[in-house]
Amino acid sequence: MAATEISSSEQYNFDIVKKFSIMAVVWGLVGMSVGVWIASELAWPFLNFDIPYITFGRLRPVHTSSVIFGFGGSALFATSYYIVQRTCQARLISDGMATFTFWGWQAAIMLGGISYMLGFSQSREYAEMEWPLDILIEIVWVTYLAVFVGTIMRRKQPHIYVANWFFLAFILATALLHTFNNLAVPVSLFSMKSYSLFAGTQDAMTQWWYGHNAVGFFLTAAFLGMMYYFVPKQAGRPIFSYRLSIIHFWALGFLYMWVGAHHLHWTALPDWTSTLAATFSIMLLLPSWGGMINGIMTLSGAWDKLRTDPIMRFLIVALSFYGMSTFEGPLMALKDVNALSHYTDWTVGHVHSGALGWVAMITFGSLYHMIPKLWNTEMWSKKMIEVHFWFATIGALLYITAMWISGITQGLMWRAFDQYGNLQYSFVESVAAMHPFYAMRAIGGMFFVTGMLLMFINVMMTVRQANAATAKVTAAHRAKMAGMASA
Amino acid sequence: MNHNNGQKHVPKTTGHAWDGDLQEYNNPVPKWWLVAFYISVAAAVIYWFLYPAWPVGGSYTKGFDTITYVNDKGETKTTHWNTRALLMKETNEAVAAQKPYYTKVANTPFEKVTLDPELNSFVVSAGKQLFSDNCAACHQQGGAGKVGFAPNLTDDDWLYGGKFVNIQHTIIGGRHGYMPPFAEVLNDQQIKQLSDYVLSLSKIVVDPASAQAGNALFHSETAACYYCHGDNAKGRQEIGSANLTDRIWLWANVPGANTIADKEAAVQSVIRKGLNRGVMPAWQDRLSADQIKLLTVYVHELGGGK
Repeated sequence: MAATEISSSEQYNFDIVKKFSIMAVVWGLVGMSVGVWIASELAWPFLNFDIPYITFGRLRPVHTSSVIFGFGGSALFATSYYIVQRTCQARLISDGMATFTFWGWQAAIMLGGISYMLGFSQSREYAEMEWPLDILIEIVWVTYLAVFVGTIMRRKQPHIYVANWFFLAFILATALLHTFNNLAVPVSLFSMKSYSLFAGTQDAMTQWWYGHNAVGFFLTAAFLGMMYYFVPKQAGRPIFSYRLSIIHFWALGFLYMWVGAHHLHWTALPDWTSTLAATFSIMLLLPSWGGMINGIMTLSGAWDKLRTDPIMRFLIVALSFYGMSTFEGPLMALKDVNALSHYTDWTVGHVHSGALGWVAMITFGSLYHMIPKLWNTEMWSKKMIEVHFWFATIGALLYITAMWISGITQGLMWRAFDQYGNLQYSFVESVAAMHPFYAMRAIGGMFFVTGMLLMFINVMMTVRQANAATAKVTAAHRAKMAGMASA
Repeated sequence: MNHNNGQKHVPKTTGHAWDGDLQEYNNPVPKWWLVAFYISVAAAVIYWFLYPAWPVGGSYTKGFDTITYVNDKGETKTTHWNTRALLMKETNEAVAAQKPYYTKVANTPFEKVTLDPELNSFVVSAGKQLFSDNCAACHQQGGAGKVGFAPNLTDDDWLYGGKFVNIQHTIIGGRHGYMPPFAEVLNDQQIKQLSDYVLSLSKIVVDPASAQAGNALFHSETAACYYCHGDNAKGRQEIGSANLTDRIWLWANVPGANTIADKEAAVQSVIRKGLNRGVMPAWQDRLSADQIKLLTVYVHELGGGK
C-alpha cells in the first residue's frame, strides 16, 4: 500500500491538490466566521461599532466570496485536480500552470475581500469584484480550463469518468458566465470603478442568468463531480446507474441555463420570460434529483457504513440536503409561491440549505477522505470528524429552520390586509418580528463554524503528524545509507 | 484490480474501471424517475398554453388564460393574462372598495369623524398605513418621536398647535424650525446663565443666582430670547417656538444627561449653535387631499390632539 502511494505521488501532482485543500479549510473558517459576524450584526446591530469597513453591506460580499469562491472554489480546484489525475491516470499537463491557478485564485479572493471592505463593488451579487480582479480571474480560469482539458486528453483509457464531465461542464459554464456578466466599461484606466454594459431589466436579467447558473454549475454540477468520485470510493461500491448519470447530466446542463429569471418574478421582466423560467425550473427537479438518486443508491447494500463511518455520513447527509433544496427551489420558482417567498428570509434559508447542507457537507466528506491519502497518513482524530458532523448538522438545521419561520412570517405579514383592505403591518413591525429568528440563525451559524474550527485543527494536526512521520522515515533512511557507506 | 464487493450476484457494470476500483453499474433509469420527469414536462407544456411563454418574432405567445379588469377610466377590459393587468385589477378593486370611506371622511367635519365609530375605525386602519409609510421614518412607529430628531406626536406639546386645522396645515405645507445661533452674541458666562434659567423653568435645581441672572438676560435686549419664546417662556405656536416650561425636550437631550453639568451643556449647545434642522417636508404633492385629511385625524388621535 505504502509503495503504491509513494509511486502515485510521483506519478501525479499532489502538491497542488494539497495547497488547494489547505486553503479550502482556511477560507472555510474565515468565510463562515464572517458569516456568523454579519448574522450577529443583523440580530444585534451595535456590532457595527460604527466602523464603515465592517458594516453588513461591505462584509456580506466578503462572506459570500470567501465561502463560495475561497472555500468552495479551492475545494473544487483541489478535488478536480485530484480526480482528473487519478481517473485519467495522467499527471497534470503543467505544474507551472497549475501553480499559477493557485496563486492567482488566492490573490483574487484576498484582494476582492480587501476591496469590498474599502468600499469597491460592482453591485452584482456574487460578482462584486471590480474589473481588474475580473480580468485576473478570467486569466486564471482559462489556465484552469487548459490544464483540465489537457490532462483529460492525456488519459490512459478511452472512457472519461463521469465526475470529469461534471467538472468540465462547470469550468466551461463558469467561463461563459463570468465573461458575460462582467462586461463593463471602466471609468478610466487607473480607476477601480466601472459601469456595466447592460442597463435596466437586461442588466437584472444578465445578473441573474449569472447568479443562478453560478448556483447551477459552480455549486451544483461541480460538487456533483466531487460526489461522483468520493461517494463510490468511500462506499467501495460502483455507481448505481451509468445511464442515469448520462441523462441527468445533459438534462441538468440544458435546463439550468433557462431558469435564472425566476429570481425576477413580479418585476419589470416580461411575463413570457418569467413563465419560461418557472416552467424550466419545474422540469429541472427530476434531473437534479438524478444526482441524488445515483449517490444514495450507490450506497444500497452498504447502509451499515452510515453507522460507523462519519465520512460516509457527511456525504449522504449532503445528498439529502441536496435533494431537499432542489425540491424547494422549483417550488419557490412558481410565481404564486414566489409572491410569498420573494425578498424574504425564506430565500436566504433556501440558499443556506444548499450551501451548508449540500456544498459544505459534501466538501467536508471529500476532504476527510482525500487529505489522509494526500499526506499518506490517517486523520489525526476520527472522533473529531464525528463531532464535526453533529455540529454541522445541528447548525445547518437551526439556520434553515430559523429562516423558514422568519421568511414565511415576513411574507405573510407583508401581505396581511385588514377588513378595510389596508396593510395590517408596517415594514418595521415585520423587522421587529424577525429578531428572535435572527438570533437563532446566528446561533446556528456559531454551531456550524465551531465544526469548521474542529476540522481546521484536525487537518493541521494531520499534516503535522504526516510531516513528522516523513522526517522520521527520511532520517532512518539517511542513517541506513550512512551506515552502508561507512561499511 | 481490487473489487470491493463480495456479493455473488451483482448487476452488470459498464465494464470500465478507473483509479483501481471505480466502476459503474449499467442499471436502467428508475421508472418512477422517468414518469415523474415526463409529468413535469407535461405540466410545463400546459403552463405554456395558459400563459405568455415563447418569444416569436417581435412578440410572444399570449396563452389562453385571460384577465378582466376595470381600468382607471372605468372601462371593463379583457386581455390575456399578464402581471400588469393583474396589478391594475387588484389595485383598482381595492381603491374602489375604499372610495366610499374616503369620500365620507372628506365630506364630514373633523370633529364628527372621530365621533362616528365606523369612520373612526377606518381612519385608524388607513391612517396607520399612511403614517407608517410616510411619517414613521422621522416620528417613529407610533409617533413617539426621538429627542434631537423629530417631535413626539403623542404628548400635549405642539410647536405649531394641536388643533385639527393646525395639524392639517403642517402636513400640507411642512415646517422649518429655526433658532439663530448665539455663540457670537453672548459670552460663555451669559450662555451658562441662560442655560441655568431654562433648566430652572423645568424645575431642575441649579445655582439660583445664575438662573436669576439668566432670567434677566432672557428678558433683556442683549439676548432677546423673549422675542420668540415669549415673556412667560411658553413659546409662540404661530412661529413654532418651543415652550420652555413644560419639561418636554426636543433638541437638547436634557433627560438623557445624568449630571447637572451635562444638562447645562446640552442646553448651551443649542443656544450656541442655534437650530436649522427642524425640517418637515410638505406632503401636498405626495398625498391626496383626502389622505391628508384622514392622516390629520389619525395624528390628532395619537394622543395629544387639542
